[in-house]
Amino acid sequence: MKSQPFGLIRNRKALVGVAIIAFILLVAIAAPLLTPYDPGARVGRPHQAPSLAHWLGTTRIGQDVFTRLIYGARTSLAVGFGAGLLITLVGTALGILAGYRGGKVDEVISFFTNMVLVVPNLPLLLVLAAFIGQASPWVIALILGGTSWAWGARVTRAETLSVKQKDYVKSAEMMGEPRWRIMTFEIFPNLISIVGINFIGSVIFAIITQATLEFLGLGDPKVVSWGTMLYAAQKASALSVGAWWDILTPCFALAFLGIGLSLLNFAVDEIANPRLRTGNRLGRWSALIRSGEGRL
Amino acid sequence: MAFLLRRLCFYLAAFLAAATINFFLPRLMPGDPVQIMFSSAGAELPPESLQALKLTFGFVDGPLWQQYLTYLGSIFSGDLGRSIKYFPLPVTTVLGNALVWTVGLMGTATIVSFTLGTFLGILAAWRRGSLFDVIVSVGAIFATSVPAVVTSLIVVFFFGFTLNWFPTGYAANPALDPAFTLQYLGSVLYHGILPMLTLCTVLTGGFAVTMRNNMINLLGEDYIVMARAKGLSDGHVMLWYAARNALLPTVSSLAIAIGTILGGSLVTEVVFNYPGLGNILYQAILARDYPVIQGQLLIMTATMLVANFIVDVSYVLLDPRLKRA
Repeated sequence: MKSQPFGLIRNRKALVGVAIIAFILLVAIAAPLLTPYDPGARVGRPHQAPSLAHWLGTTRIGQDVFTRLIYGARTSLAVGFGAGLLITLVGTALGILAGYRGGKVDEVISFFTNMVLVVPNLPLLLVLAAFIGQASPWVIALILGGTSWAWGARVTRAETLSVKQKDYVKSAEMMGEPRWRIMTFEIFPNLISIVGINFIGSVIFAIITQATLEFLGLGDPKVVSWGTMLYAAQKASALSVGAWWDILTPCFALAFLGIGLSLLNFAVDEIANPRLRTGNRLGRWSALIRSGEGRL
Repeated sequence: MAFLLRRLCFYLAAFLAAATINFFLPRLMPGDPVQIMFSSAGAELPPESLQALKLTFGFVDGPLWQQYLTYLGSIFSGDLGRSIKYFPLPVTTVLGNALVWTVGLMGTATIVSFTLGTFLGILAAWRRGSLFDVIVSVGAIFATSVPAVVTSLIVVFFFGFTLNWFPTGYAANPALDPAFTLQYLGSVLYHGILPMLTLCTVLTGGFAVTMRNNMINLLGEDYIVMARAKGLSDGHVMLWYAARNALLPTVSSLAIAIGTILGGSLVTEVVFNYPGLGNILYQAILARDYPVIQGQLLIMTATMLVANFIVDVSYVLLDPRLKRA
């Protein structure tokens, strides 16, 4: 049924996604080789427009924007992947536990999962971060891990419910394998595609949320990241004084990374589930979430 | 009915959870919780006002459970304390004024993007694999994977600062008196266009993709084939057979999206200096105005729960099977 040109474009999407992420990763790793400046140092006059000496201009206090951009990529990527890993870990563990054990365990976990889902995430994060005050990137990653696992848990639980009916799980049970072994070695490997999608989705979420929290002034302003770049530029009224390079640079970087990760998410889903190629990621997510609907 | 009642109990529990977080957070931080909560006020606060604030937030002599009950008591009697930045205004007044703007912005943006996204999704699914479908699908990925803060900044830069088409701040011309005059409402509309545009850009893609996928799953069903076999027109089959049934799960995805919409509108308001909750919150964070920061969590949770409940009710109305359950 699927027409050929559409399939090709989809594959190209996957390729582009991987290329974008690899490019940003390489630039982040090679940051000291690509720039002669220090990201925190004043190296020019304030708000200089892009020039040969300063490719992307300077900030309000004369820091080199390009240098901050490539060093900032390190923080944004590290927090994104760190928090993404944490979110996925908690969500997957709780989801498998709830789905496989059922009964009281399931009821308790599902209740908390649904509760976390209806308490608005950003306002909650804002309250937490406000009390902690000038949160470092790692603290932000920890808070994200603690508050954002609910989606993953719900989706993983729904998928576990169908996997645990399979014959190989039943036979493992008959052979008397311990529960933890069945959960880690029989069920988990069969959820790997859903875990992968959850992971990439969580990384996107973590990068966006970290940048948002820092933009709102809840991060540590001494840290160099894309979020603190936005915060500093907005505080210096970069747009109204015409220093567009100061604020648009981290904007486009965030947009670029977000698009790259989303394209990759597509690819993982398609490689893991060829039968799903007609639908896509979001459709699958909403289908899975719906199957958990109606339970409180 | 039982379904809605169960949901209501659940929402009450969720609201209690948010209140509990508020209660324990200052007490879990190192240092004196009273000092933390009201430190930004300094010596300006009259002693009797400080005493009243302490009572509201449950800082009373006695065991923890008694403090907790005191705090819950003040919340459920509608007392969220007083703002320290805007002292002596009560938190409920400060947030209530802002909530009107946020709900207006959020509500309009949700309705516009939901309608637009749903129609785009229907058409994309109907012409699956066509150029139109590719544009909608790819456009949706791009629009939804860019953070709201980035979209807001780019929109304000191009349409506000570069082209100078629209104002870059405030909800209405500050020179006008707020009244139901044509001039004032026109000004509100004019100032609201850019924030609306931003939110719709962020939201439409998600709705379009959800609707598209729901439609595609339904297009193979027997009743679609039968409708075609009966010789019904294409448009009729598309809207009254396929889209009608695909709409139900899309409405449930709306409930899930409310949190995202709320977060997006917070950020958008900060960028556009729009007098909604997001902006109040931003000012509160800068001023360490903890009563307001805590109050917004409760108000936003309540807003989210009400929105969820509205979706629940519409779900029951749309799906007759739930009426019997």
